[in-house]
Amino acid sequence: MKNKLIDLVNITKSYDGVTILDDLNLYIRENEFLTLLGPSGCGKTTTLRIMGGFEHPDSGKVLFDGKDITELPPNKRQLNTVFQKYALFPHMSVAENIAFGLKIRNKPQAYINDKIRYALKLVNMDGAENRYPASLSGGQQQRVAIARAIVNEPKVLLLDEPLGALDLKLRQDMQYELMRLKNELGITFVYVTHDQEEALTMSDTIVVMNQGYIQQVGTPEDIYNEPQNAFVADFIGDSNILDGRMIQDKLVEILGVKFPCVDTGFGENRPVDVVIRPEDVELVKPEDGQLTGRVTSLIFKGVHYEMEVRANGFDWLVHSTRLQEVGSEVGITVDPFNIQIMNKPESTDEEAVPVGE
Amino acid sequence: MKKILKRIYMILILFLLYAPIATLIVLSFNSSKSRAKWGGFTLDWYSSLFQNNEIMEAFYTTLLVALLAAAIATLIGTLAAIGIHAMGKKARTIFTGITNIPMLNSEIVMGVSLMLLFIILRIRLGFSTILLAHITFDIPYVILNVLPKMKQTDRNVYEAALDLGATPFYAFRKTILPDIMPGISSGFLLSFTMSLDDFVITYFTKGPGVDTLSTKIYSEVRKGIKPEIYALSTILFVSVMLLLLLINLAPSKESPKELEKDSRYLAKTGHRRIFTRHMVIGRLVPGLLIVVLAAGGIYYGGKTTAAGQNQVIVYNWGEYIDPDVLTQFEEETGIHVIYEEYETNEIMYPKIKAGAVAYDCVCPSDYMIQKMIDNDLLQKIDFDNVPNIKNIGEIYEKASQAFDPTNEYSIPYCWGTMGILYNTKMVDEPVTSWKILWDSKYKDSILMQDSVRDAFCVALKYLGYSANTTNMQELQEAKDLLIAQKPLVQAYVIDQVRDKMIGNEAALGVIYSGEAIYTARENPDLAYVVPDEGSNVWFDSWVIPKNAPHKENAEKFLNFLCRPDIALKNFEYITYSTPNVAAQQLIEDPDIRDSQVAFPDDATLERCETYSYLGADAEEIYNDLWNEVKSS
Repeated sequence: MKNKLIDLVNITKSYDGVTILDDLNLYIRENEFLTLLGPSGCGKTTTLRIMGGFEHPDSGKVLFDGKDITELPPNKRQLNTVFQKYALFPHMSVAENIAFGLKIRNKPQAYINDKIRYALKLVNMDGAENRYPASLSGGQQQRVAIARAIVNEPKVLLLDEPLGALDLKLRQDMQYELMRLKNELGITFVYVTHDQEEALTMSDTIVVMNQGYIQQVGTPEDIYNEPQNAFVADFIGDSNILDGRMIQDKLVEILGVKFPCVDTGFGENRPVDVVIRPEDVELVKPEDGQLTGRVTSLIFKGVHYEMEVRANGFDWLVHSTRLQEVGSEVGITVDPFNIQIMNKPESTDEEAVPVGE
Repeated sequence: MKKILKRIYMILILFLLYAPIATLIVLSFNSSKSRAKWGGFTLDWYSSLFQNNEIMEAFYTTLLVALLAAAIATLIGTLAAIGIHAMGKKARTIFTGITNIPMLNSEIVMGVSLMLLFIILRIRLGFSTILLAHITFDIPYVILNVLPKMKQTDRNVYEAALDLGATPFYAFRKTILPDIMPGISSGFLLSFTMSLDDFVITYFTKGPGVDTLSTKIYSEVRKGIKPEIYALSTILFVSVMLLLLLINLAPSKESPKELEKDSRYLAKTGHRRIFTRHMVIGRLVPGLLIVVLAAGGIYYGGKTTAAGQNQVIVYNWGEYIDPDVLTQFEEETGIHVIYEEYETNEIMYPKIKAGAVAYDCVCPSDYMIQKMIDNDLLQKIDFDNVPNIKNIGEIYEKASQAFDPTNEYSIPYCWGTMGILYNTKMVDEPVTSWKILWDSKYKDSILMQDSVRDAFCVALKYLGYSANTTNMQELQEAKDLLIAQKPLVQAYVIDQVRDKMIGNEAALGVIYSGEAIYTARENPDLAYVVPDEGSNVWFDSWVIPKNAPHKENAEKFLNFLCRPDIALKNFEYITYSTPNVAAQQLIEDPDIRDSQVAFPDDATLERCETYSYLGADAEEIYNDLWNEVKSS
């Protein structure tokens, strides 16, 4: 296990009496690509800004490589940030933008020139030295912003929704670029996004946040396949989230029908939340289904069809490569491995479960 | 057709906007002093402008005040805008509102309140108070210009600089400052312009001897605007115009097209392009500032060391001294005279009372001296230092006792009587009494003074009462008499008495002796008499205010004014009667020297009395009665 590079300990932060982060604990390992994922207002950007030194926590400590840097101003921290809206210096050329941090550190001009060329090559922007930010496209500006950050050889690169302002195609290209960069540079990335697909694609570790609490920490596979609560399940990809009752180990009742499953240890006759991914819902002949329903809508999505099937009073979201006409009667079956059982929160407060270490 | 109408409309608007300035520019090249006549092209006014020390000094002061005030206000205002921007929403709204109020506030309120503040803080009014006042009213304009630019700045850009290792100050200089620079420079230019043409606030906060162009021009208006002022205004207009053109015609750095050019240039030469606009705002303006400040520092420094504390601050009526007398005094004594003028006693009094400015000698009228003694604003003159007091006639000293009972506070400077001016061609009988003004023979040929005290003086004296009476019955009688006279009166006027009498438009007029000397010269048929019942005699006398900073110099100055040759010079310049007996004897023209008008015999003088200060209640009664007369 690699050592903790950044360690946030009991961080609390509020603005104008509204609590943004409540007793947050989180660590980032060296060389990790960690993503903070959550809806807007969940506190992910605030967490990043506390790491960067732009916000001061009301209480708690920020440790960097074991040293307390809570009181250290941003210009003294060994990390660099790539901002959502690039934040390039409009009055300076691309080269001057990239040289900014190096000049402050009084590096020799020859070294600076080398670095500029190297960084521009790294972000596929060779020869753009003398352009001005206003004459660059959004994607190009973002590349310059990244180049400007990485020439300083930070131990950690903080990225605040860096691709948020780009169009879909460019965003996907940039995702691969970032992963390539991360591998070439071998530094730690802390990445903030509200786009679950982006998070799943790029990260080593995903931290799902909501309302100032961490909901789940895990690998992309963990998060997707084993969401620990309804929020995570709902936020990561499309899901069918149903009220269920655990009859006994490996048997759950959903919509009045008993489904075999693989989960154990939830007790007997306990209400639970059940998550079934739309691609795990199998449509079969009505007589073969565990329950039957009627197709109410159909959308062609390219790789698959997205359908809604009304069965036992619930609208099931189904992804399938096989077409079923609207109005046709179908049967529904679910493989026991694809049924995810979760404890029901006892109150709404508990919906946001802080995950301690 | 529509096109032509549009064009005509535009030309009309441009004409209306620029006609006044065009007139001014044309007049600045007009060799004739008359505003109505074109006398040929000349540059004389420009050359005499640069030789006129007073105007150049005022011009320099204006420029120095405007530049310093704008520079300091720009600094303070920019910092304030940054602070306000960083505040919470509520505090920001409140503070923006508070800083906007001085802009909306009436200038006169601002001027008076600043003056009062300076007085309370015991700051002597002068150059520094003008500067402080200008900084105060400039700051809101800077905030108004910088704050919106501040709002447009991207906080992330500043944070990015910090993130890259910049200290907060360096980050500010490299990221925020270039963004808000247009706001700062327009704030500076606006402040500069506001300062340049401010009159009201400057008028209230300036001290003696310091004038900006606006206050200088204002004080010149009384004497008629000189063509040099046209030349100066033309120069100002043209320079402002050039500056604006430079700023507006220069390419703006922000346009993408310019940025492209910029990067191509940078790629080719390795140097940045230099922009005209940047040159003007970034180099030219600060450069000018430094040059003007350095020059001004040397100039002012030289001047103050030369004059030092050896000065005397004189506050006098407008056009009430021969300017050569001041020069001669400075040459003979080495004392620098700071000279200020006022138009009425009522303008002078509050300035002295407030103590805003410490004057060394002032020349108020009789009743005002009484009021100032009553209010303990004057100090006794040490007559051991004014030996020339011996030249002042005893009769005048005695008459002065009406307002300065012990003759310890004042030295008579000018005096005169009120009487009847009549046209000997129209009036055959000898004029000896006010009675003639009630003679229906002269219906519509009588001119009365349009002034409450003067009008009542005529009636009261005719009735045999004092001109200072507060007896209600006597006043009622006088009022009835004035109402009875009304049908006979051609007009109630002040200055026109002189011109109408000269033009033979009336037979009889109530007038002051100083004017009578002038009219007699213009129209030999006119004669002046002080009626037997007596009349008003007035004095303007020198006094030394209690807070005079240079009392000894004041006494030297007054002693100088009492010297016969100096008093004579002033008499010839002012033409009002001088109480200086020695000077009277020096007058060469026997017609004037022995004139009963200018120097009536002691018996006549003894029949006359000065107006006393009657107090606010009595003044109101007089005014009410006078209104009854005029509206009857």
